[in-house]
Amino acid sequence: MANEDQIESILESARLIVCAGPGGVGKTTTSAALGLKGALHGRKVIVLTIDPAKRLANSLGLDELTNDPQQIDLSERIPDQDTDGELWAMMLDQQQTLDDLVARYAPDSGALARSKDNNIYKLLSSTLAGMQEYMALDKLHDLYTGGYYDLVVLDTPPTKNALDFLNTPSRARQFFDDRIMKWFIPSKNQKKGLFSKVFDAGGSVVNTLLGRIFGDSFVQDLVDFFETLSFLQEALRSRGDMIDFILRDPQTHFVVITSADQRRIKEALFFHDKLGQLDQEAAAFILNRVIPGFEADDLTSFDVEDLGDLGDVDVDKFESALSEHYEHLARLAKHNKDLVEKFGKEVGPERLRAIPLFGEDVHDITQLRRLGEYLG
Amino acid sequence: MLDSIKDKRLVFVTGKGGVGKSTCAAALGAALARRGKKTLVVETDAFSAMSELLGKSGKDGTRIKIADNLYAINLQSDECLVRSLTRFLPSERVVRSVTGNRVTEAFFKSAPSVNEFVLLDGILEFVEDNKQLYDHVIVDLPASGHAVTFLNVPDTLNQMMRGVGPFAKRAKVIAGWIHDSSRAAIVAVCLPEEMPVQETIELEDKLEEALGRGLELTMVNMVHPRPFPARFGTAFKEASESAGVNVDPTKEFSEESTATRRVLAGNVLAMSWYKRDRTYLDLLHSKLDAEIVELPMVYETEENDIVDRLANFINSDGQTTETLAS
Ligand SMILES: Nc1ncnc2c1ncn2[C@@H]1O[C@H](COP(=O)(O)OP(=O)(O)OP(=O)(O)O)[C@@H](O)[C@H]1O
Ligand SMILES: Nc1ncnc2c1ncn2[C@@H]1O[C@H](COP(=O)(O)OP(=O)(O)O)[C@@H](O)[C@H]1O
Ligand SMILES: [Mg+2]
Ligand SMILES: [Mg+2]
Repeated sequence: MANEDQIESILESARLIVCAGPGGVGKTTTSAALGLKGALHGRKVIVLTIDPAKRLANSLGLDELTNDPQQIDLSERIPDQDTDGELWAMMLDQQQTLDDLVARYAPDSGALARSKDNNIYKLLSSTLAGMQEYMALDKLHDLYTGGYYDLVVLDTPPTKNALDFLNTPSRARQFFDDRIMKWFIPSKNQKKGLFSKVFDAGGSVVNTLLGRIFGDSFVQDLVDFFETLSFLQEALRSRGDMIDFILRDPQTHFVVITSADQRRIKEALFFHDKLGQLDQEAAAFILNRVIPGFEADDLTSFDVEDLGDLGDVDVDKFESALSEHYEHLARLAKHNKDLVEKFGKEVGPERLRAIPLFGEDVHDITQLRRLGEYLG
Repeated sequence: MLDSIKDKRLVFVTGKGGVGKSTCAAALGAALARRGKKTLVVETDAFSAMSELLGKSGKDGTRIKIADNLYAINLQSDECLVRSLTRFLPSERVVRSVTGNRVTEAFFKSAPSVNEFVLLDGILEFVEDNKQLYDHVIVDLPASGHAVTFLNVPDTLNQMMRGVGPFAKRAKVIAGWIHDSSRAAIVAVCLPEEMPVQETIELEDKLEEALGRGLELTMVNMVHPRPFPARFGTAFKEASESAGVNVDPTKEFSEESTATRRVLAGNVLAMSWYKRDRTYLDLLHSKLDAEIVELPMVYETEENDIVDRLANFINSDGQTTETLAS
């Protein structure tokens, strides 16, 4: 499947590209660069970014956290490129996404108000581990099924463990798991959930234990929480199934991004292994921030005489000053090159792209295009 | 160097992924241990980095001795959960009935903040252990989520439980440690780049807001050295401009070029890294009151050597000139 133009062909046909990898390696930047390339291929692309650098956000027109897609005016920003494509971008607001979800599924305004009042709900979105991942996928669901965009590029949250991301749908479902729910919420022909019954009756082992550990009022809040939000159970389950389905779709492609660092490469490979759970594999691996190919050999033929008139500097000292630092860089570059080669052997060199570490941050469209050239 | 944390028993090290948090935690540990302080470095990571960083490995969940006065351990939340429950529940049998129950197990695994809480609880056990009294327990905090959310977990839980029950009581004790800047230090690790520096400045404000305390120390990691002396600046600028390698120096490494152009381009890049670093370091100095330590980019390829050099650098107050590989 993999070929020379793997990324180009994905950009033409994919409906979803997921950019995954450990935090801080350039996922957000790469997602934006891929989105831009997609738009230049004539597609209507939306990039769902999680935490863009401020200057990148500004240059994409995302000055405020709005949770709404904003279109980037390509004809103004890249006048030399004519394209029918569209580039849209948005930044995830997890609280807003959760509120929207609850508002959409709440059976009546009373249930909505009760949800928002609940002690646990108020703390939920900021404290529940994995909430950001969940909300990103939930937003993805809407963008993907909305029908307007040809391609969604999904940036993923900066989790330590890219793997957490894959487990998100099942974790969210587990939280509202049937078996747990049974304890807390009433079934059709019972007024109260098992838990409440037991709780009222007092004396049950589990009840006493949970109450003993967490305090009775917390347990009561939890009961209220589950009862109030029980309407979400079905929604989360069906959305979770749909998300699973989207992630498994053959038109969904995963791009695994990492940096030239042994441990992070190991993590990326581990993540890739787990992609098998979704019957998926990485369409491409991107090694970002690779030290450019400085070569110690260059120093043997380096000659300041080639540089023309240098004024009144001491030419020999100048030459050795420039050489000295270059030699250190060459050492790191060699180390990076070896890592790239070794990684290439493991995943197939045709699937691997290396992006050099630039001299400045990648914070505007011009820089994104420059970075995009290494993705072709 | 490190005056800001030298009398702190508990040291939290935080930072975004990949900035060198584990490396700096290890270097802090090594530096303090070499000063004769009994130090434990705690990781809470599915993939332990300490074996590479400190050159010795052990089983997860068990403490290993690295060197004189230096110990390390990797804690996992699963084991911590069992340990915490064991302390709150009357008997082992009861703990097993709770963790072995599908319903409660699922509940614990997905309930808000429980993982974070039991990790903190496990860490506090080391801090409070009077038989093995450490001068410093250095915690390499997980990179996921935000440090403030993590450090706020005990408060949040306590609030959710309205102060009732042993979990809430324990949460209060842990929160007490975290709030108390005379016993606990918070250290931010960042790179001298725009995003990490901005985030560190924001972190200081958020900590004040949420915990009523700030940062003790910021470690700016991988600071690039000046590639060549300033007196060559003008000649270098002219030479690189007339060769045309200053606009897009990385291109010289992906296209046909000459050795001379590449050496110039390499120095152009190194100069822009250096300049960018200075810009963001200046910004940090102007905005933060905390101690700021600049750790150099080390041109070594073995992680163990990097930590060793960084620890030497710290303990010589930044005087070691041989921070570059020899
Ligand atoms: N001062 C330094 N000089 C050179 N290389 C460094 C320096 N500090 C860290 N590194 C390298 O940077 C990489 C990332 O470091 P480290 O694993 O400590 O980061 P981290 O923030 O703990 O990352 P993670 O989020 O994966 O836990 C490692 O390869 C490490 O050797
Ligand atoms: N190849 C590169 N060269 C230089 N800087 C880069 C490169 N790739 C990314 N960056 C910069 O690194 C920082 C982190 O990138 P980002 O995409 O936000 O990472 P992540 O989303 O993985 O956390 C940004 O400031 C970005 O501009
Ligand atoms: Mg990001
Ligand atoms: Mg780490």
